[in-house]
Amino acid sequence: MFDRLEAFIRHMGEAQCEGALAERLADICREMGFAYFALTHHVDILRAPQPVIRLHNYPPDWAAWFDREQLGPSDPVHRASHVTSAGFAWSSLPAMIHLTPRDRLVLKLAGSQGLGDGFTVPANVPGESHGSCSFATAAGNAFPEHEMFFAQLIGTYAFERARGLWRMRGRGASDLPKLTDRQRDCLYWAARGKTDWEIARILGLRRDTVIQHLKHARERYGVSKRTQLAVHALYDGIICFTDILSR
Amino acid sequence: MAIIMEGRRNHSDHRLLRAMFEARKRVFVDLLRWDVPVLDGRYEIDQFDDENAIYVIVTDGEGRHRGSARLLPTMRPHILDTLFPQLCADRPPRGAGIFEITRFCLDREQDATSRLIARNRLVSAMVDYAIDNGIHAFSGVAEVGWLQQILAFGWRCSPLGLPRQIGGRMLGALRIEIGENTPALLSWNKIYAPDMLQGALEAA
Repeated sequence: MFDRLEAFIRHMGEAQCEGALAERLADICREMGFAYFALTHHVDILRAPQPVIRLHNYPPDWAAWFDREQLGPSDPVHRASHVTSAGFAWSSLPAMIHLTPRDRLVLKLAGSQGLGDGFTVPANVPGESHGSCSFATAAGNAFPEHEMFFAQLIGTYAFERARGLWRMRGRGASDLPKLTDRQRDCLYWAARGKTDWEIARILGLRRDTVIQHLKHARERYGVSKRTQLAVHALYDGIICFTDILSR
Repeated sequence: MAIIMEGRRNHSDHRLLRAMFEARKRVFVDLLRWDVPVLDGRYEIDQFDDENAIYVIVTDGEGRHRGSARLLPTMRPHILDTLFPQLCADRPPRGAGIFEITRFCLDREQDATSRLIARNRLVSAMVDYAIDNGIHAFSGVAEVGWLQQILAFGWRCSPLGLPRQIGGRMLGALRIEIGENTPALLSWNKIYAPDMLQGALEAA
């Protein structure tokens, strides 16, 4: 069993393009008793300007509908993958996050489109966008619980391979908007709810200077509002949740 | 700068070792809730913190502990063969040139950017130490949530077995190959930075 895993990992590591990786993932997926996989960065949920990793073999109708309805921002599986670092079965979603009536509707519709139970591996690389790799059964098929640990490693190695291919296209972390130290400092305090005047006092800057720093940071991200800037920077790992929420 | 301490004895800088054991208590006991022994309510020290342990410690400009790791020789009892042999499909790796990375710890009292800097310097210092001392592989046990980050460093890292649920955590065992090209692999991912002051400090 472990030999099989090593072979899969090696095979994925040799994939030279995203199409090849997707094909290999689809094969592994079937071997494990799942029907579908989706490997994705979560930045697209904000329609972020930077390119993202996204590979899947979900039913086309479901994927198109999901995008058209802009369900990304509320996708319960993505949300849950931000509250844990280990893989989780979709059946444990209710215990992980608060599911609203719309979440329940989304999950039900996914079922009607052919998606059954799933297992999601969160993929978090500090300084980069959150992502995940999910495997789902065809609706009505049994969830291969005994393959969970196998799926955990496959998901992690698949994401790293996708990340490597993505970087080879020259779209690595270096393509993310870069903030200067001062811009980041100002944003850090702004995200913690401080006013321009307060930030100026904390950092020993003039209020005008703080306003300029935050304006330039917004320009680099191509957003017009401070809240958007803070959310983008959190996703990109320029600032992190523990900094903002601590104390 | 990065400081290497071989074993717990004969060190002039006991202050730094104490700071490391305190930081470990704050990370592994207070934050991660590991069930490990605590000495005097302040220091996390276990049976592997003996004269065979090698400590790699990174400090800031004022000499304060920012991060550390403990390397254990695999020819002697270590974490993987003593506590978690079930994580390996075969026998845990054992050899004079294989050391186990344990207690990888980044000080909690720093922001995200400083933590990443400390992390990169610590990884670089461990690799430098390995290359200088004929270590060709590291082994280690990690929570699966860390694996994505460990792989993203860019070094050659493979699983030693399937992860398992142990004490409420999903754990896996890893093997990392270290060679002359490891610094280049880490550099490509902006992880590796040689510590210029390290040699000077050790000579002092």
